Amino acid sequence: MQPDTRDLELTTLLDRVARQDASALKVLYDRSASVLFGLAMRVVRNPEWAEDVVQESYLTIWRSAGDYRASLSPPMAWMGLIVRSRALDLLRRRAAERADRTDELDETLADTLEGDAPNPMDEVQASQQARALHRCLQQLEQAQRQVLSLAYLRDLSHHELAEQLRLPLGTVKTWIRRGLIQLRGCMAGTI
Amino acid sequence: MRLHEHPELLDRLAASYALGTLRGGARRRFETLARQQPAVQAACQHWLGRMASLTELQPAITPPPYVWTRIQNQLQLETTPRLATPPRGAIGWWQSLALWRTMAAAGVCATVAAVVVGLQVNQGLRSEAGAQIAELRQQLQATPQIQYVAVLADEKSTASMLVTIDPTNNTLVLQRVSGFQEGGDRSLQLWALPPSGAPRSLGVLGQGPLVKLTAAEADVREVPTLAISLEPRGGVPGAGGPTGPVLFKGSLIQRML
Repeated sequence: MQPDTRDLELTTLLDRVARQDASALKVLYDRSASVLFGLAMRVVRNPEWAEDVVQESYLTIWRSAGDYRASLSPPMAWMGLIVRSRALDLLRRRAAERADRTDELDETLADTLEGDAPNPMDEVQASQQARALHRCLQQLEQAQRQVLSLAYLRDLSHHELAEQLRLPLGTVKTWIRRGLIQLRGCMAGTI
Repeated sequence: MRLHEHPELLDRLAASYALGTLRGGARRRFETLARQQPAVQAACQHWLGRMASLTELQPAITPPPYVWTRIQNQLQLETTPRLATPPRGAIGWWQSLALWRTMAAAGVCATVAAVVVGLQVNQGLRSEAGAQIAELRQQLQATPQIQYVAVLADEKSTASMLVTIDPTNNTLVLQRVSGFQEGGDRSLQLWALPPSGAPRSLGVLGQGPLVKLTAAEADVREVPTLAISLEPRGGVPGAGGPTGPVLFKGSLIQRML
């Protein structure tokens, strides 16, 4: 399916979900759950937590689909932001619950500089904007690309990134700065 | 600072802002500028949109099928009219499915003892829950032939139905222990889920708090799990399997004592 056709289909489904059409939510789920579950896994790195995040996210989508049109975002990005936000909530709750055992959480989140490159199948599924970003990210070195994507997906500061990835702070800052400069150059003139 | 006169710097700040790595005072100053200068605001929105696309680019993983079932059950609960929630103070305690399982396995007498202990230690338990437990205790004492027990819980592990089976008298007694009440146009139906083969209906539940069904030991022998689905009033017509969502589910445990 062409991405623009897909966006149109997802938008129509979100409109129906906004009118509390439960069958539309099922179709929307079938179309989007694997991308959103992959995203949740990327943020929380634990299948059970990711399942909870996806469950909460679709219920959020069910309740707030009426707000979608006003967001002016591609539908997958809008749903992706909901998943990211629910996933970050969950990580914060877990961190608070286990404030005295943060080592374990760090263990869970560490060791993530691997397997980040989206495969071509995923690209076909992505919106036009995401495809442009994907092309530009592909031009970065892998480490830069992954540090950027982790910084965003897990809402991490330079310090937190350095800690979780066990890299020197200076290295993280340099990668992010250079990564953003290159990304900016590449994205200029695209949407 | 007239940031829009330095487009490259503006763009870089907006990108760091959207990425989330612009922090502290710098982040607050940038937000102030964005409120004052439309060009800053626009750059900000532009990069926030671009970064949001990162959420689309992660490797897709198919979630297990029960994730949808859980969503569906939750939706059903949200849209079911006349839904009563269990007393708040009791939730934590009732949710302890592990405790229930242990108690069921240890036998009815131990169950009663544990219920009493539970009552004493849980200060937050309300009288409604106390009444439920007393009722439950009476019922357990009154049915000494119970050989199978199951506690069916919803997807949040809140114990919702207690099932006891007395094969000597071919009776299955089901007691509602949470406040769940189906709508008037719906019925709950109890199913045996054998390890292989289709679910077998054990009967349709009436609306009352206590339901008595006829069940022979052969109906439940070797059956590891019982489940309750929400069906049209009167249950699934004909001999088919469940058509509605599964609301409650639990392991069937044979009494050891």
